[in-house]
Amino acid sequence: MKRWVVGTVIGLLLAGVVLSLGCAGSGATRKGSAAEKIYVKPGEHDAYYAFLSGGHHGNIYVYGFPSCRHITTIPVFTPEPAVGYGFDEDSKAMLGGRVWGDAHHPGLSETDGNYDGRWLFINDMAGARIARIDLKDFKTRQIFGPIPNLSAAHACPFPTPNTEYVFAASRFSVPVPNRAVHIEDYGKDFNGIIAGIKVAPTDGTMSLGFEILTPPFDWDLSDAGKGPSHGWQFFTCYNSEQAYDSLEVKASQNEMDFIAAVDWRAAQKAVDEGKAKTIGGAPVLDPHDVRGIVYLMPVPKSPHGVDVNPTGEYICASGKLQAEVSVLSFAKFQAAVQAEKFDGDRGGIPVLQYEDVLEAKVPVGLGPLHTQFDDKGNAYTSLFLDSQIAKWKVGPPWNVVDKIDVYYSIGHLMASEGDTRNPTGDYVVALDKLSKSRYLNVGPTHPEAAQLIDIRGPKMELLYDFPTYLEPHYAQMIRAEKLKPITIYPLAENTHKEAIKRAEDARIERKGNRVDVYMLAVRTHFTPDKIKVNEGDDVYFHVTNLEQDDDIAHGFGIIWSNDNMQIEPGETKTMHWKAERVGITPFYCSNFCSALHQEMQGLIEVQPRRAKIAAVQRPDAQQVSEIAAILQH
Amino acid sequence: MSTFWSDPLIPGHRRMIFVVAIVLIPVFFIPVLPIWTMRLWAPQYPEGLRLVIYANTILGDLDKINTLNHYVGMHAITANDFKEFAYLPLALTLFGVMALMAALANRRDVALIGWAAFTLFTFVMFKDYANWLYHYGHDLDPRAALKLDAFTPPLVGFKKMANFRVWSLPDVGGILLGIAWLMGPVVAFLDLRARRRRGGSRVATSVAA
Repeated sequence: MKRWVVGTVIGLLLAGVVLSLGCAGSGATRKGSAAEKIYVKPGEHDAYYAFLSGGHHGNIYVYGFPSCRHITTIPVFTPEPAVGYGFDEDSKAMLGGRVWGDAHHPGLSETDGNYDGRWLFINDMAGARIARIDLKDFKTRQIFGPIPNLSAAHACPFPTPNTEYVFAASRFSVPVPNRAVHIEDYGKDFNGIIAGIKVAPTDGTMSLGFEILTPPFDWDLSDAGKGPSHGWQFFTCYNSEQAYDSLEVKASQNEMDFIAAVDWRAAQKAVDEGKAKTIGGAPVLDPHDVRGIVYLMPVPKSPHGVDVNPTGEYICASGKLQAEVSVLSFAKFQAAVQAEKFDGDRGGIPVLQYEDVLEAKVPVGLGPLHTQFDDKGNAYTSLFLDSQIAKWKVGPPWNVVDKIDVYYSIGHLMASEGDTRNPTGDYVVALDKLSKSRYLNVGPTHPEAAQLIDIRGPKMELLYDFPTYLEPHYAQMIRAEKLKPITIYPLAENTHKEAIKRAEDARIERKGNRVDVYMLAVRTHFTPDKIKVNEGDDVYFHVTNLEQDDDIAHGFGIIWSNDNMQIEPGETKTMHWKAERVGITPFYCSNFCSALHQEMQGLIEVQPRRAKIAAVQRPDAQQVSEIAAILQH
Repeated sequence: MSTFWSDPLIPGHRRMIFVVAIVLIPVFFIPVLPIWTMRLWAPQYPEGLRLVIYANTILGDLDKINTLNHYVGMHAITANDFKEFAYLPLALTLFGVMALMAALANRRDVALIGWAAFTLFTFVMFKDYANWLYHYGHDLDPRAALKLDAFTPPLVGFKKMANFRVWSLPDVGGILLGIAWLMGPVVAFLDLRARRRRGGSRVATSVAA
């Protein structure tokens, strides 16, 4: 009798705890005001990371959702003095002297068509380059390119479902190989290129797989097939007219442009079988000679976005000069290819017939650009001209079920995990090209605008409107628990060849005009902090931050110079400084680190060229022993 | 009283002493259980820092604590400084072996001597621990950037030190050691009660039978 009473009470208590935990864990609740839905309490974390491309700022903005807080910016194609990106020798070499890029489309790595949280790829459209960011530490680790023969890469990188490949297709066409020609010979001498870039499954390293020569269309956007369409990559194009001037008018004349469907396994096989020509160092396949690797599907009116739905059955093309999304069927495409129902070819590429591949036309509204998906079989298409998002049903009756206004002139949109096989269906973010008067006036350079929209209910609900810096194009949102970034670099794993980990190893070595400074940084001193060099010396500072505590980064800045970097806990970085003038030059910790941060400084003594300076300098014994005492553990 | 020393133990009590010996193995013989833990919180360390003492070493956020402590000139805490870690596992092992012997060989005298030695040893080690804490808080480097009044971190319990709140408490191993120690008085009490009720010789006979 007593026992079951106690048992029941305990059971009820446990159920209560579980229920309250469950509610707390589900983040913003469905009910409540918009403010409640985006409110993340101080000290608590967002449910999603989002990666917004920085456009011609050349980097990536990291946001948290639903709070819409800007958390950090990852420098990618543009130097960033705050963290020394492009200033230390390694990142400087990676940038290769370039100081800008046009970052358009983030592409999270995938496994089985779902984000796996390993890497983030992003294109530099103007430089025909692709960068890989390691999501273990949110650092750019590889910049691949300029990709040979490729004149800008807009349809890029759009990873395949197991990150087998990322892609890059030329937005502009030029002669391949590039050579002295006349612009007027565009149709004869110019070509487009579609490139498949292999991604090493272990570490994400990119290498060129194949290139396909195409007619001089302007390749625009891309998406990977998934599920039944896995193995195919789709690309939209405009300017099938092959205009080389006044494109605004001349490239808008054809009723139909194209989606190219590339069988990337077949293309790679053709390269491996030696069917490619080498142009500019790249293996290039000519569709005149190699059949079965690429097909063209007509779609109306200069399509922009191409987006494959979560099941992989449909390819949604947004004809930006019409009011419809054309939904093509992958099954119909395959049947037509099997039956060889071709309507001639363009540049050796077989062309299918629109009617043979068309599944549905969805009248979404004016200026459709891009489409994302939820978990309930709905699609969301951005409407540039209408400044709206249209929600429509994927499948019969293929109708629009809801619309919402955005502010203003939306380009891309991002749904939560909305381009994977399993969208989460929580949010859509509108990424608008114009903000006009939405925020406090900061003069003629307006910020961009974005809106967070709740898509969990039957009606879309605007939750928040926030500015972003120039200029997000595409963006992706990933569930926060999929990322497990490190917070420090473990010193034990620091294998940098210039790293030192003991005070006894701190020293300055001279070889001719090259001076190597092996320096330690730990709260709150640099060791050595007295550096003696000759005028004209090339001084390389190899600074190891011995801290192993979260967020204790040290800066290393030299006054009157262009040289500054940040060294994270456990990290070693090398920075070059030229001793240009005789006298004393102070250096200091440029990233606030601790109570005695101001004292974290040192002096460089520059003597005239002929002055005799020891080949090896070491800090005072007392200084070494004091620091060694702190570091002995 | 000679019968008291030579009398065999009651089987239930032997088992208790045996359990003491077995339970202590992870504390000293293979020191995987921490004996003592000090936790430190500051505004910028909401997750807290830890110093964890085992029979043979000290672990936890030593690097972080030492880096912070150098501002006030505190001597760096490193396992190498503690000669105690050389003999602590041996000494504890000895007490464990004595308990094991007492249980297996059924030796009341070994149990009692072991327990008494363990008690004395614990007092000595607490005094030693207190000395160390005094040393860390008092022998401060006069050249330190921040000059603090001498202090003593808490031996047991809570203390506020500069911007840190410090809790010092026995950890799993320490609690087990405490329970092991308590088994002494418990067994002694049970044993005495049993003798009073039944008379010494009858107990001995029943055990022998």
